Amino acid sequence: MTTDRLKNFEKDFWKGWERRKTWDEIIPGVVRPTNPLTLTQEMIQRFARAIGDLNPLYFDEEYAKKSPFKGLISPPSIHSFLLFACTDNDDWMREPGTINAGQSWYYNVPARPGDTIRLVCKAVDKFIRKERLFIVHENTFYNQHDQVICEGRGWTIRPR
Amino acid sequence: MNSDAYAAVQIGDQVAGEALTVTAAMIKDFAEASHDFNALHLDDAFMESTKFGKTQFEGVIAHGLFNFSRITKTLTDWLWPQGALHRRLETRHLNPVYDGDTITAHLTVTNKYQTPKGRWVQLEVKLKNQKGQVVASGDAMAEYPL
Repeated sequence: MTTDRLKNFEKDFWKGWERRKTWDEIIPGVVRPTNPLTLTQEMIQRFARAIGDLNPLYFDEEYAKKSPFKGLISPPSIHSFLLFACTDNDDWMREPGTINAGQSWYYNVPARPGDTIRLVCKAVDKFIRKERLFIVHENTFYNQHDQVICEGRGWTIRPR
Repeated sequence: MNSDAYAAVQIGDQVAGEALTVTAAMIKDFAEASHDFNALHLDDAFMESTKFGKTQFEGVIAHGLFNFSRITKTLTDWLWPQGALHRRLETRHLNPVYDGDTITAHLTVTNKYQTPKGRWVQLEVKLKNQKGQVVASGDAMAEYPL
C-alpha cells in the first residue's frame, strides 16, 4: 500500500529475465501476482508531462474542483504506468523484446491522486499467427472503494 | 454539461490533434514516467541486431502506449470541454514511430447511438506520421451523459 516499492524498481529489464514465464509457460486463466500502489500527484504529473498532456485537470486543483470531475484526476492512459508499478520484476510483461500489437481499454472512473490502486491481471488467450507467439492479457484496475477505474485487453507478441 | 453538445456532434465530424515530433529523449522520458524500460525503447544496438519474426526495426521505437496516449489526449481535449466522457479506445499498432517522426492523431465521428441510459458517439481513430503513414488505427467511444 505504499509508494516505497517504486524506489527499488529494477529499471534493467534484462536482470532476472530467465525467471520470467515464456510463451510456453504462460497459462491463460492464471492470475498474476500484483501489489497495490498509492498513486501520488507527482506520479500523475510526471506521466502527463511525458505524454505532452498539460491538461489543468492533472495540475490545477482549483480548476479541477470546479470541473465535472470535482478534483484532480489522472490522464486515462495512466494504466501504462500502473501496469509496471503494480507488478514485480519477474512479471512477463517486462520481457525484453515484448511487442505491443494492440489494446482496448474501457474507462469507468478516473484514477485520482491518493487512490490506492489494485491490479487484477491474467493472460486470457495464447495463439500463434504468422509464426509469431501472441498472448492476450486482461488487466483491471480498481481503486480503494473497489470501483473499476479501467479494464483493458492487450495483445503482445512474445520474444520467446 | 452542455445539453446541446450531443445534438451538435455530426457523423463525419473530424478532429485533428496537435502534431508532435517524437525524440529519443521523449521516448526515454516516457520509459521513466511509465516504468516501461523495455530494450525496444532504449537500446539501439539491441534493435539493430534483433529480428522480430520477419520485422527488423531501424532503431529504438516509441512505446505503443505513448502513441496510444497521444490519441487519448486528442480525445479528451475534444470531449471534456463538451462535458462528454472518454469511455473506450482500441488501437492496433501498424508501423513503428522512430526518433524524429512527427505524429498526429485524427478522429472521425462514425456514428451516434442512444441506449436507454446513455448517449454515445463512436469514432474512428488514426495516428499518422509525417509521411501520411498510419502508425496506429482503431476506434473510440464517448458518452454524453443524460
